[in-house]
Amino acid sequence: MQSAEILVTTPAILMACIGVAWGILGGALPGISPSITMALLLPFTYTLEPTSALILLASSYVGAEYGGSIPAILIRTPGTNAAAATVIDGYEMNRQGKAGLALGISLYSGVIGSLFGLLMLVVLSEPLSRVALSFRPPSYFALGILGLSVIVTLSGGSLVKAMIAGIFGLMVATVGTDPVTGGNRFTFGTADLLGGIEPVLIMVGLFAVSELLVQATQKDTTIRVESTARIEFPGWKLARRLLPAQMIGNVVGTFEGVMPGAGGTVASFIAYNEAKRWSRHKDEFGKGSPEGIAAPETANNTVSATAIIPLLAFGIPGSNSTAVLLGGFLIHGITVGPMIFVKSADVVHGLYGGLFVASIAQLIIGIMMMAPCIWLVNRPRAYLNAFIFALIFSGVFSIHQSLFDLSLVLGAGVVGFFMRMLKIPFLPTVLGLVLGYLVESNYRRALVISGGDHSIFLTDPISLGLLVVAALFIAGSLGRTLLETMKSRRTALN
Amino acid sequence: MRGFFVIAGALAVGIAAFAPPATAQDYPKDTVTLVTHSSVGGGSDVFLRELSKYLGPALGANVIVENVTGGSGANAMARLASAPPDGSIFYATTPTFIYTSLLSNPEATYKDLEPLVNVFTDPEVIYTAEGSPYKTLQDVIDHAKTAQGTWGAANPASLERQLLERLKKAAGVNAAVVTHEGGGDMMINVLNGTLDIGVGEVQEVKSQLEAKQIRILATFSAEKLDTLPDVPTVKSLGYDIVARKFRGLAGPKGLPADVIAAWEKAIPAVLANPEYKAVYTAADLRPDFIPHAEYGPFIESFVAETEAFLKETGVIQ
Repeated sequence: MQSAEILVTTPAILMACIGVAWGILGGALPGISPSITMALLLPFTYTLEPTSALILLASSYVGAEYGGSIPAILIRTPGTNAAAATVIDGYEMNRQGKAGLALGISLYSGVIGSLFGLLMLVVLSEPLSRVALSFRPPSYFALGILGLSVIVTLSGGSLVKAMIAGIFGLMVATVGTDPVTGGNRFTFGTADLLGGIEPVLIMVGLFAVSELLVQATQKDTTIRVESTARIEFPGWKLARRLLPAQMIGNVVGTFEGVMPGAGGTVASFIAYNEAKRWSRHKDEFGKGSPEGIAAPETANNTVSATAIIPLLAFGIPGSNSTAVLLGGFLIHGITVGPMIFVKSADVVHGLYGGLFVASIAQLIIGIMMMAPCIWLVNRPRAYLNAFIFALIFSGVFSIHQSLFDLSLVLGAGVVGFFMRMLKIPFLPTVLGLVLGYLVESNYRRALVISGGDHSIFLTDPISLGLLVVAALFIAGSLGRTLLETMKSRRTALN
Repeated sequence: MRGFFVIAGALAVGIAAFAPPATAQDYPKDTVTLVTHSSVGGGSDVFLRELSKYLGPALGANVIVENVTGGSGANAMARLASAPPDGSIFYATTPTFIYTSLLSNPEATYKDLEPLVNVFTDPEVIYTAEGSPYKTLQDVIDHAKTAQGTWGAANPASLERQLLERLKKAAGVNAAVVTHEGGGDMMINVLNGTLDIGVGEVQEVKSQLEAKQIRILATFSAEKLDTLPDVPTVKSLGYDIVARKFRGLAGPKGLPADVIAAWEKAIPAVLANPEYKAVYTAADLRPDFIPHAEYGPFIESFVAETEAFLKETGVIQ
């Protein structure tokens, strides 16, 4: 198989192991989400060849999903949002003196989740992208619109705030060379902006820098861990009992991974609830149930692979983490979307192989990383954050040796800080930024082809289909929001 | 890898800066740096790296390649403009540096550089999908006379678009010139029949040509191509348009005469090297040596032509 060949000929195995180790560290640090963990690596992937770069990024996503459960179990603080469901039973097991077993269950459920997710990724992505060659400019426009319509489900409260964030991203995407006439837009005469603003720089600023700024305003309240827990894997009997919970995690993780906007956190909680509903030991949930760890940890690791499906097949990043992964593709000039299986098949196969290695290597690296993780979590915040700042700026500077890039990252960090203060979500901005150019250029290109006739978007079958799906998607979310508001009003009245 | 070249380049410049001023006797320098704005593996980068292998012996110096990316050539131009004109550093010129100079307001423009010599011309060809009904360029133009023709160019502000706009004018048709984000994007639209034709460099379309997915209808080069002897030139079909996608070298302003003489001797020698000839012929690069005295006016006329085109299409005022 091609994947196997790529594994042998590139430093893929090494990259997968480094990625997992890095991911576990990042995931274990509270506040450092998987997307930040990946964003920190991003600048360093410029000099790698594309396959290694993507394996490194995707593996760190896998590692981060496991890493998040370490502080969840040990100090009752989830390292990542997706590990929040693990806190419930994980910390309870820790109190009962079974921390090692809890970590072992989390780790090996994670391996099962990643492997199942990878299987789904390999099986589903390519068939979904088969329609590639039939994508014309109006179809790409409609695809971009469908991607942007995800914004309505990302609002997490206020649709207006999500729209503000999305439009901000779209505005930033207009900087640079006009896609049709070639004229300059908002470049203020500087050549630095001629090629547009690189989404990568904005992502690093928004995700990582803003988090550090927020943390700088807070007191260091980290609880010191005094743990000597050694990872302990469950025996056969327990493993058999965990199997149904893991299956539930797999299925939920696959659905939530493919659905844009859902992501690992939602998957973890749904998997936890479903595992509880179907369990023979319902009463144990909340009191240190091993299934209560297995289900969410399987689910969030499944998501780390299946979230890549919409990215590869359609070029739509459904979560912050896959948006950063998209950045990794963009850096190497690989256009993600239906054509990727034709134009960069070797990179995709290499990525599959790397993810396979990462899923397995997780077992060993997970055990090895325990001690460094606990050490790191115990460092004073101030020193840790100073180090992360140094990492960000040296990484960004190494891309083009450009001071302009550094100021962009800092600027994006400040914008991100205020967005956090105002509770404006980031993902709409990132979506607007990466999809804005696609939507605009293909809209205008389609009109150049049709001679200005808008009916081209309805006569192109793919375009029509995607636009209808986007409309249904928006109508559905609005309907659900409306229903919820009505319900909450009624309860308020009662 | 890239980091290494950057460091190597920086060291080379450092050494050059401390060396005694150039005199007639000591050119060539120990080390000559060739700067490109393209990243490792990009068009100009491959051109320079191939060239540097054969240039070293011919020039009697170490030739190293430095990638100064970013700003569509603006950074590389700035780097050159501030370097000493002693023949230790040159820039790989392509139409990009003219476009960037005209489109934006970079720190240094083509005016701050002195064209040295030209080395190659890249042939630009017109192609269509294998399954399309167009067998000749005339078929395409006839179609555009009766219906809405759709012609593709890789980038909005590019030589390719300029060529199509000129062809439109020469043929008196009103086809829609559809611009893209690079050649790959456009290829898909040619293959699925959205576009009647596309324009691109031969190297770019080679894999589709070999897979028999596309047909080449005509070339914008002055003469027929060695690798595609059956393809007519656009000029021979009655439309007087010849593409000048040049690949040459430029240095900081005020190059001394001995430096120019050394390069005017070295470049024709390298181009005649049979080993190198085999490499560049296979890559469809046409040797097009233009000596220093003619290269300046050549670039000037290219600038005038491009500026007029950009103004006419409303890209710049």
